[in-house]
Amino acid sequence: MIAIYKKELRSYFTSMIGFVFVALFLVVVGIYFTSYNLVGGYANFDYVLQSIGLLFIILIPTVTMRMIAEETKSKTDQLLYTSPLTIEKIVLGKYLAVYTLFLIVVAVICFYPLILGQFGNVDYPLAYANIFGFALMGAAYMAIGMFISSTTENQVIAAVLSFLVFLITYLMSYIVQVVPSDNLSAWIIFSVLNLLISVVLYTSLKNINVALIFAGAMEVILTALYLLKPSFFDGSVVKFLNWFSLFERYKAFGLGIIDFASVIYYLSLVFLFWFLTVQTIKKRRWN
Amino acid sequence: MIEVSNLVKQYGDHYAVDHLSFTVNEGEVLGFLGPNGAGKSTTMNIITGYISATEGTVTINGHDILDEPEEAKKCLGYLPELPPVYPDMTVKEYLFFVAEIKGVKREDRFDDVMNAMESTKITNYQNRLIRHLSKGYRQRTGIAGAMIGNPQIIILDEPTVGLDPSQIIEVRDLIKSLAKDHTIILSSHIMQEISAVCDRVLIINKGKMIVNDSIKDLSRRMSGSNRLELKVKGSAAQAKELILGIGDVESVDVVGEEDGIVEMHVYSKDTDVREQVFDACAGAHLPIYAMNLIEMTLEEIFIKLVQNMEKEKGEEEK
Repeated sequence: MIAIYKKELRSYFTSMIGFVFVALFLVVVGIYFTSYNLVGGYANFDYVLQSIGLLFIILIPTVTMRMIAEETKSKTDQLLYTSPLTIEKIVLGKYLAVYTLFLIVVAVICFYPLILGQFGNVDYPLAYANIFGFALMGAAYMAIGMFISSTTENQVIAAVLSFLVFLITYLMSYIVQVVPSDNLSAWIIFSVLNLLISVVLYTSLKNINVALIFAGAMEVILTALYLLKPSFFDGSVVKFLNWFSLFERYKAFGLGIIDFASVIYYLSLVFLFWFLTVQTIKKRRWN
Repeated sequence: MIEVSNLVKQYGDHYAVDHLSFTVNEGEVLGFLGPNGAGKSTTMNIITGYISATEGTVTINGHDILDEPEEAKKCLGYLPELPPVYPDMTVKEYLFFVAEIKGVKREDRFDDVMNAMESTKITNYQNRLIRHLSKGYRQRTGIAGAMIGNPQIIILDEPTVGLDPSQIIEVRDLIKSLAKDHTIILSSHIMQEISAVCDRVLIINKGKMIVNDSIKDLSRRMSGSNRLELKVKGSAAQAKELILGIGDVESVDVVGEEDGIVEMHVYSKDTDVREQVFDACAGAHLPIYAMNLIEMTLEEIFIKLVQNMEKEKGEEEK
């Protein structure tokens, strides 16, 4: 695992990707920092990190897109997967390397509140709670990016897909405002979702029976719930969709709150997507 | 050492490997022969655990590649079809990386890497970026990578592809020296290569095994089969009938006809049929324009074997 970590980290800095990523990120943060804090005269560093969302979701895929896809394409994965290392460790090593890149950015950002402190009173706990949340959110997004990179061998597709997925999670708080909230539409939305999951299940398992049984059973449960206990669906779509809103959780850190649930939420996303990446790689060997 | 039993790899309805079973004993050098798409690389990828078989098992030193992958993979060194090298590393960095992921102890790494570089004659290139190396040197780097950690079994997928003739000889010598204390599987479609270094040869086509023979038996099979290139003036039908009438002739292929001259390939077993062909043609007043005896190459033996296989299959179906 350490071997993979070292190799990945070295390749980020011999291929310039690492420098470009860190530099671009710092430029983006720097621009907001200058305009809000230095020129604007605000002492709140949290404004900066809360505002760079859109640029953040563009920057992350630039490093995560190559993580697995590049090795698949150039067949160097043959060396890794035929070595005594387990796929779990290989993926973990790769993930830690890309996250180290992000931590370099975070480490530099940590100085900004101190710079502000030279000019006036800065709410340090608030600023650092923000940076902490920012680091956690980055961890979650990088795990998702890595997972998407493992599903394709084309880096461009991986980047575009990642960006789309990130964009949806970014816009989720707006999407939530327009979804209907009555119980019938909730039932319809969940039924459509059930259908989608079943299709995915069928395409990945190639077993029509399992997919049909799953779809049928879920539909029966949904319908029974709708008929017998419609209150179950109250606000469920919003709740469900909010679960995918990574930025919404981050806003709590913007208020200076280190919400334990959000910390767990981000960490479990990291774990989930690490797990899914491992499974995707393992599954590819069976095709 | 390596036991492959009933291996099947299915892509949809297509069988890439079709119920393949064989064993490789300790110290043996096994040659894997077959045309492109025969399933050589797929089989090797399954043995090394890169992909999984649809059915069947692979056991390496008593360790199943699926149940105990770490143990099994520790005994293996693998050079795939495309050397799995990172272009942005130098040769030395790459080999140290390989040593590290193969779990070579820190104090042994330096010796191991130096040794591998020396054997493959890339010591002078150790500080070059792999990106700047030619195909031949990348291939050598890949072979060096497979040697790292001194695995008991070395699997090489077409190790001499892309090398120039003198490099090919060097690699063959290298394989021979490795064969002294390693078990080796190598694939190729060049017969001399197999006969130069292998003890045993396995010919596969369309995922099925055609021949599993020692080199001696195969070369006997080879010398036994001859091909005659023949040019005769006359009509194709008449000439073919005439030549087929000779007892020792197995088959005749008409390959071309131009200005009343027929070109044919005459196949016979064990016997030289040149005199009989001359007598027959003279008797029928068919002037011979050219006659040339050619020993069958592996490809031709192979094509014959495949044709026979398909003929038998067709007869079975009838």
